[in-house]
Amino acid sequence: MSDPILRMINITRDFHDGTKIRRVLNETDLNIYPGELTLIAGPSGSGKTTLLTIMGLILKPTAGKVYINNKDVTTASENMKANLRRENYGFVFQLAELLPALSVFENITVSSCIQGAALKPQLKKRAGELLESFGLQDCLHLQPLQLSGGQKQRVAIVRALMNEPSLLLCDEPTSALDAESSQIVLDTLKNISKDKSRAMVMVTHDPRVFPYADRLLKIENGSVVYDSNEPQRSDAV
Amino acid sequence: MRSLVALKILLYDRSTTIGAIIGVVAIVFLVGQQLSVLFGLFNYMSVLVDHSETDIWICSANTENLNSSGLIPERYLERVSALSEVLWAEPLLYGGASFKTKDGRNEGVQVVGIRNPSRAVGPWKFSQGSAESFFQYNGVTLDLLDLSKYGNPKLNDICEINGKFAKITAITQGIKGFAGRMVFTNIVKAREILNTPPGRCKAVLVKLRSKENLNAAVSKIEELLPSAKVLSASELSKKTRFYYIKNTGMGGSFGFSTLIGALVGIIIITLTMYTGVLQRQKDFAVLRALGARKIDIFVIVLSQAFIIAAIGIFIGFFLLALFLYATYESALPSYFPREVAPVLALATLVLCLGGSLLAVRKAISVEPASVFR
Repeated sequence: MSDPILRMINITRDFHDGTKIRRVLNETDLNIYPGELTLIAGPSGSGKTTLLTIMGLILKPTAGKVYINNKDVTTASENMKANLRRENYGFVFQLAELLPALSVFENITVSSCIQGAALKPQLKKRAGELLESFGLQDCLHLQPLQLSGGQKQRVAIVRALMNEPSLLLCDEPTSALDAESSQIVLDTLKNISKDKSRAMVMVTHDPRVFPYADRLLKIENGSVVYDSNEPQRSDAV
Repeated sequence: MRSLVALKILLYDRSTTIGAIIGVVAIVFLVGQQLSVLFGLFNYMSVLVDHSETDIWICSANTENLNSSGLIPERYLERVSALSEVLWAEPLLYGGASFKTKDGRNEGVQVVGIRNPSRAVGPWKFSQGSAESFFQYNGVTLDLLDLSKYGNPKLNDICEINGKFAKITAITQGIKGFAGRMVFTNIVKAREILNTPPGRCKAVLVKLRSKENLNAAVSKIEELLPSAKVLSASELSKKTRFYYIKNTGMGGSFGFSTLIGALVGIIIITLTMYTGVLQRQKDFAVLRALGARKIDIFVIVLSQAFIIAAIGIFIGFFLLALFLYATYESALPSYFPREVAPVLALATLVLCLGGSLLAVRKAISVEPASVFR
């Protein structure tokens, strides 16, 4: 097996709730490998999104270590983490979260240029190609308000893929969509997951995604209670 | 791209953008308008000195401003005229008087008596008549802006000033003093109106052969006339303005109004930009999650402040120009020196950027994790 893209060792996360400290993620070890579609499932408040945001270097773990491509990034600076997110990660949020002020083209190129770099011709070309491959070539200059929910989410997927990330993190990407749009988005994500150079982690409640998964993690009360790659973990619970 | 994002968000949030621009316009226009009135009054305060085209003023001892000068011997004229540095010297009579209107009212005027209008303190702009009118014994000028106050007298009408008859032989245009409306006449008529004793005058005005020797000439005249106050024209102008600002409470009043104008603007800018950032919190969180650093968010919000400032300053100065045009040669004192414009623009930019700091602080404190909740 190849080296993991992401390694998490003994990760915990506490939240300060007024005077109390509440642990939302118990000691967790996790490796994410390229070419894998990992689903994280569990009831609301179980710690799925907390785990995803720690994976995405957005939330800092209270304890433990996070490695990206075998490099310890746990104590990396804010700027370093922002650079890592921009270069290595793609995010697909629950509600697409396109910037309403920007056109589709600007939305999908914004992360490439947000640190002040000029938009390179190859990026323009890639944006065009990606939009075409997702059937969105006619939406290039539209505003997000002019798109349907499914189209918005597909544009968000294009945005996530623009920088050719090695890790794609999706937070319930179909939960806000109707059945038809959900199916289109799921098919899209399924195709993306076939790329063996990239890992995909998806938080979802949608059982239709389960058949496509290479790995399923179930979380309850802040602990991984089932890992399809390590059935003994579930036995321990 | 950061500036483009800044601009696009501004265009998208039109109401917020317009609100913030109104704040900038308020600063430029309200402060500019207050300053223009203040500078207009400055001009009124020292109007005679500034238009005298002379280098040195000889006044009575302890003179703090032109209006407070007492009478001095007219023989000073001959004494300074004898100096090699002096090109010419002219006497000036100046004082308050009462103009009786056709309907019997009394209006306060400042009578200016001069000997040679082509040299010192002659009226510099005529609507009707000319400088030659001064050689008529009873001839006086009135200003076009004040004619309605005097009951709309016409050229060659007879009027009464301090109980003395005079003939209106010229109408000046836009000549106004701080202490009252200005009536020019020849020195003989002024002496009669103002009841000035023979051999006395209010000031002696001196034109030097060369301005390079101004300080030396002032010292020389001070030695020659130890009981008089000898001031360069620019110094007397400054002293007169400072005297009025200090003693009339005008400085404090205008300073306060200017401050209020700036405060109103900065409050509008701060609140609208802060509201704008609150509305776009999610967008900033998304940008942060996608890889924007805090500095990138800082640049976006500051770029917005800069764009708002640029547009607001442009509109503000346009409105200010309209105001100045509308009040040009009106009774309202308004004058805006060109060199003040860049200072006001820069100060407004600084205020606008300062007003955006709260919004900047809010924007960079947005947690990217919030987009997942």
